[in-house]
Amino acid sequence: MASDEFQRLALEHLDALYNFAMYLTRNPPEADDLVQETYLRAFRFSHRFQPGTHLRAWLFQILRNTFLTFYRLRERESALAEDGVPTWDAPMFHDAPEESSSAVEAHTDLERALQRLPEEFRTVLLLAEVEGMALEDVARVLSCPVGTVKSRIFRAKERLRGLLKDYTKK
Amino acid sequence: MSGDQSPDDEVLGTRLRAELPRYTAPTSLRAAISQGGAPAPQRVAWLSPVLAAAATALVLGLVFLLAGPQIVPADPTERLVRSVVAEHTRTLMWGARHPEVIPAALPWLTQESGIGLRQVFAGDDRLQFSGAEPVYLEGHRGIALHYRDADGHLLTYVVLALSGLPVPDRRRVQIERGTSRWRPALMHDSGFSAWVWRQGELACFLVSDMVSEDDVERFKDYFVRVRVSTDPVPAY
Repeated sequence: MASDEFQRLALEHLDALYNFAMYLTRNPPEADDLVQETYLRAFRFSHRFQPGTHLRAWLFQILRNTFLTFYRLRERESALAEDGVPTWDAPMFHDAPEESSSAVEAHTDLERALQRLPEEFRTVLLLAEVEGMALEDVARVLSCPVGTVKSRIFRAKERLRGLLKDYTKK
Repeated sequence: MSGDQSPDDEVLGTRLRAELPRYTAPTSLRAAISQGGAPAPQRVAWLSPVLAAAATALVLGLVFLLAGPQIVPADPTERLVRSVVAEHTRTLMWGARHPEVIPAALPWLTQESGIGLRQVFAGDDRLQFSGAEPVYLEGHRGIALHYRDADGHLLTYVVLALSGLPVPDRRRVQIERGTSRWRPALMHDSGFSAWVWRQGELACFLVSDMVSEDDVERFKDYFVRVRVSTDPVPAY
């Protein structure tokens, strides 16, 4: 089991992990479960964590891997949803912070556009731009070379700009 | 981010940082994680099919294992381990034939098996007692006690009225807790692990499907919990 010190350090990243989980799952109870599962795994395998490397990137990597492990199964399930509208495809408006109506509208467009991106594009933007992670850490989380991260960020932004333009036209 | 971005990219990056709402972890989640996972996590929709698939694979695997041709080991200990594992898998698939609740059933179990339990492990925060029943394996009477851990692993503890069971030295593992020390043998059969040890005139077994390196550490802990709290003796 993880030491108290490891648990304390790991819990410092709880809010960031929860935020990431929310954007991946678009569902607060599932985000709760995903984060809780992430910590369970991190504590269970804390001996595998190499001190001196980035704990934050390691935790994000566990969270994303946990999400991807079950995501395909859930995709198949949601395809069979009775009303034909998978719940995970709904835009994430729930529990958004209270702000002025215009700001909420702007957030909605940006969130909508972000949610329409494929997971690998969405993730790379969330990690690099929203969380401000170094490209090397993003590469570690995604288990890919830094060059791939750069090209994904470029393509993700291109797609995001296109989607935002569509919303503006509407 | 890197400095080789176009102004458009930078604007978009700034928008993402500034405009996307940040979600803060609920206090209850923080508390649950801090306390080591309690309360129990709510089952998510995608977990059920995973568990169902795993259970189906396990049952099918067991059916093939039991139905397939098997070579009977010549070694008496290995033969007994195989029987105990078969008993364990039967319980795993179909449940105990006569699951009894101890201590109410102790006199009846003693009468049926010829084994008394002066002290018995009735479960704790890690292992939940699920039933007890008399067994008859390889011509020996005995008692089987079943437990289940928080992850769903079934453990079967079997005591047989059999003196002088040879415990293979090369399979012995030293387990220490405080000042106590035991050297049971860790044996494997059909994908299951079994601790084998002698306790006075009796042969004892503790079986589970915990076979990986991490699992074995936990299995050692379960052995200690059962071993220190259970005291079987020949009754007649």
